[in-house]
Amino acid sequence: MAYPTEQIEDLKRYCAKLSALPEGQVTFLYMQGLSLPAGCQPSVCDALLCPAARDGYPSRLYLSVKVASPYARNWNCSNARIGERNWFAFSWKVDLNDPTLTQLLIAHLNGFAKEK
Amino acid sequence: MSKDRYSRQSFLGGNAEELISRCTIAVPGLGGGGSHIVQQLAHIGFQRYVLYDFDVVEESNLNRLVGANLTDALAETPKLHLAKKMIYGLQPNATVRGFACKWQEKPEPLRECQIVVGCVDSYKGREELEIACRRYLMHYIDIGMDVHGKERPVIGGQVVQSSHGGLCMRCMGFLTDEKLAAEAARYGDAGHRPQVIWPNGVLASTAVGLAVDLITNWTRNSRSHAYLAYDGNQGTLKESLTLRNLAIKACPHFRDCEVGDPVFVEL
Amino acid sequence: MKVQIKLTGALHADIIRDLARPHPFAAERVGFVFGRAGSLTDHGRLILLTRYHSIPDDQYVEDHTVGARIGSEALTWAMQAVYHGRPAREGIFHLHLHGHYGETGMSATDRREIPRLIPGFQSVGRDAVHGIIILSADHGSGWVWPQSGTEPIHADCVSVIGAPVGVFDRGRAK
Repeated sequence: MAYPTEQIEDLKRYCAKLSALPEGQVTFLYMQGLSLPAGCQPSVCDALLCPAARDGYPSRLYLSVKVASPYARNWNCSNARIGERNWFAFSWKVDLNDPTLTQLLIAHLNGFAKEK
Repeated sequence: MSKDRYSRQSFLGGNAEELISRCTIAVPGLGGGGSHIVQQLAHIGFQRYVLYDFDVVEESNLNRLVGANLTDALAETPKLHLAKKMIYGLQPNATVRGFACKWQEKPEPLRECQIVVGCVDSYKGREELEIACRRYLMHYIDIGMDVHGKERPVIGGQVVQSSHGGLCMRCMGFLTDEKLAAEAARYGDAGHRPQVIWPNGVLASTAVGLAVDLITNWTRNSRSHAYLAYDGNQGTLKESLTLRNLAIKACPHFRDCEVGDPVFVEL
Repeated sequence: MKVQIKLTGALHADIIRDLARPHPFAAERVGFVFGRAGSLTDHGRLILLTRYHSIPDDQYVEDHTVGARIGSEALTWAMQAVYHGRPAREGIFHLHLHGHYGETGMSATDRREIPRLIPGFQSVGRDAVHGIIILSADHGSGWVWPQSGTEPIHADCVSVIGAPVGVFDRGRAK
């Protein structure tokens, strides 16, 4: 699956390196060194953005570690195996109408910064 | 060792023992299904094993865990230890690589196998195993059972074979987004799933039969895939209806570029 | 370092079928097969063969001192394939068939001629693993050059993941 070039370029601003990982029917966006919102521990980690529907979510952001954040989150995905690595994700449904990749990423990162 | 040992399975072919002995087979999950699998593999003559299970024997396992006894429950014997004991008791020269963890925590040994028999208890776990098997070219055989309905319990189960180039579990209608989503929604509230020994035995035996056929080709069926649905109430195991009515002839879910270690294409 | 090679039954059958065809003047046929790498424990390597290239009849050079000799066009094609396979870290393997049963090794000609190709492949496809595979009627052997390596590693096992499964262990004849 190809993503619009301008959206890819915009997304690169949020991480040290951006790559594509095709697996199954999805092309994940692998973000190395993604900066997380203030108050998160660690403040930087690797992430996989999945813009396609998966496991009951319209989109998902997987992280390389379970992140401690100001608000407790339900980490209902532990050691999900994608791209021969293990990933973590918390329960956070993002419902946007045709978002850009950056809008999608920010909406997922807001999951750390919002109480609910 | 007497050459009579395998004389009763000579119909598998003159060199069947040699072929079976060379195959490396993985069994992630050594519970109700996996313990049956390991027992049968050891009897048949498999010599090379890669096993995964981090769990120990508990009293509630004793209704179905092949090889376990009361002492094991009291002692909290690791299931991995039980499996090794089973294997070495029948095949003292076997090579058994056992890992007291999930296979995802130590995935490299799995990749050396030719066949993986998955005895895991989640759709997500099955999906991940199938992806690994497609990536590193292993035949994947999956078994599982469940019991649903309270008023009138119904035992169901499956034996699925997924191999590179053949139909995958999604093609065959066994793995669906709906099942994965429903399972994800139940996280943390899975409870104890009903499990009994006899369906596990049926499914494990069938899976082992598929594995032996993949190695020896004694039936000359040369299966590229299989999906057998078990009805524990009727006592039947037959080709799944979804497979019989399938229009897909080639798998669109796995691509050749997804073989080997993942390659991240810098954007 | 442990090295294993795997290929599907379908690919194996295609390769054997192609290599077994008679050639107008060469005594044997040669092909190239491409492989992607997988990691094993202790830095071991798993080579997963994915596709086969049959060398066209007219890209052989008539030379009756050897079983088969391929010309510059075939080699150019191979180099270009290695170049295009770089993003996927795809390696190339020279492949031919020895017409006997049991485990096979490199003949004196094989040892003299084929390894000469490897440095060229390595210079173009630096991040990939390249090598040589020789099949027999019922076995298979492989030699793998790690990235920048000058010496080959003899693969411990070649497996055919088909129906039936074939496992060709080094040092263990069928």
